[in-house]
Amino acid sequence: MADPCCAPPCVDPRLSKFDPLPRIVFYDDFDHGLQGWSELIGNYEDDLSTMLPGYEDLRPPMLSNGTMWDTGSAGSMEGNYALKLATRPRAGHIAVGIKRVTWRHRGPIRLEAYLTFKPEAAELRLSETDVRAWGVLFDIQDAEKRWMPHLRYLNAMHGQQVAQWQFKRHREPLLQIGGSGKTRSHFHLAPTHWEEVPGGHQILCYNEIPTKYNWHYLRVDLDLATRQITHLQCNDRVHDLDGVEPMVMPAMANLWCMLNVVFWVETDIDKRAFLYLDSVLLSGEWA
Amino acid sequence: MVRQNYTAVVERNRVWQGDFASEPYECGWASEAIFFVRKLEVQGLLRPGARGRVQISPDGMRWCDEGTEFYLTPGEDRVDFVRVRHFGNWLRIAGTLPEGAQARVIVYLTLKE
Repeated sequence: MADPCCAPPCVDPRLSKFDPLPRIVFYDDFDHGLQGWSELIGNYEDDLSTMLPGYEDLRPPMLSNGTMWDTGSAGSMEGNYALKLATRPRAGHIAVGIKRVTWRHRGPIRLEAYLTFKPEAAELRLSETDVRAWGVLFDIQDAEKRWMPHLRYLNAMHGQQVAQWQFKRHREPLLQIGGSGKTRSHFHLAPTHWEEVPGGHQILCYNEIPTKYNWHYLRVDLDLATRQITHLQCNDRVHDLDGVEPMVMPAMANLWCMLNVVFWVETDIDKRAFLYLDSVLLSGEWA
Repeated sequence: MVRQNYTAVVERNRVWQGDFASEPYECGWASEAIFFVRKLEVQGLLRPGARGRVQISPDGMRWCDEGTEFYLTPGEDRVDFVRVRHFGNWLRIAGTLPEGAQARVIVYLTLKE
């Protein structure tokens, strides 16, 4: 006999659209605020100008109710507000939101989110190639390694639709910041050295004008024990991860058990690009 | 529930000269806001006439003066502020620095439900 608490009439409508592992690390529904998501900044010493240029201006996240110039407020997928990342109106600019936690068991974890992306509706045309890319990355450290799975959906490049999932394992140069010898930085989101996920071409639901949003499901699984990306799914497509690897580097000082989750969006033209997150759930499996 | 409060750094280490405007920020959930402008570095004379104004927008793209203005004081590492309520969804500040003046700024937008 089924547990009456699990019968369909009692299903939690907020969580039933996810497939979490047994332990929920965090569940962020942005109707309740920004939920600990903040702007990413690079490392610096003494002066902000010592930061690597790519990190200088990654923009603060905001809460959006999806208000359009032509149809008013769209709201989010569930409720009213979504977390919004917005670039500057400058080709190649990136906006990044981060949440920083730590892990307690080197086992499976799962990130799920409902999200959508759009360019600013500054023109009365389709604009489907104006957003260059959006993506998710993790920044993790154990006793031996710091490793950073990077996955992005390359929507378009130089005005041409690409619609391809990519990953990045190439390490950018690790540079000294300031004069103390204690601070280093590498701009891992640099646009170079991205590689294609095999068979990772996927057309998403952009819809027919810039003011119509459709929400997408994203799931990424990691195994903290083997330092592998074990699952990439967007809507109905589960992608082949053969040969897909994270960035890996020696463990660094002061980062023990780090588990950071990062989303970003990049614009392809001199127009703002937006990534909206309705909700984000990080779960894991441990005794 | 306690009231939500959030500070966004809408500009950081940004150099203003001539006409300036901060990036648009959506904050329809908040009922009150304060822009703080901290000047990290100033070149030239900010006075007379260095002032900013609050702007609101129906869509994040087209802007109106809300009516509230503030002066940018001349000293480095000094903080100026302006308060605003009843602003709808989008906020930014805009203004003009006198010819020859330049300021490197951090702009905070502090919001409360």
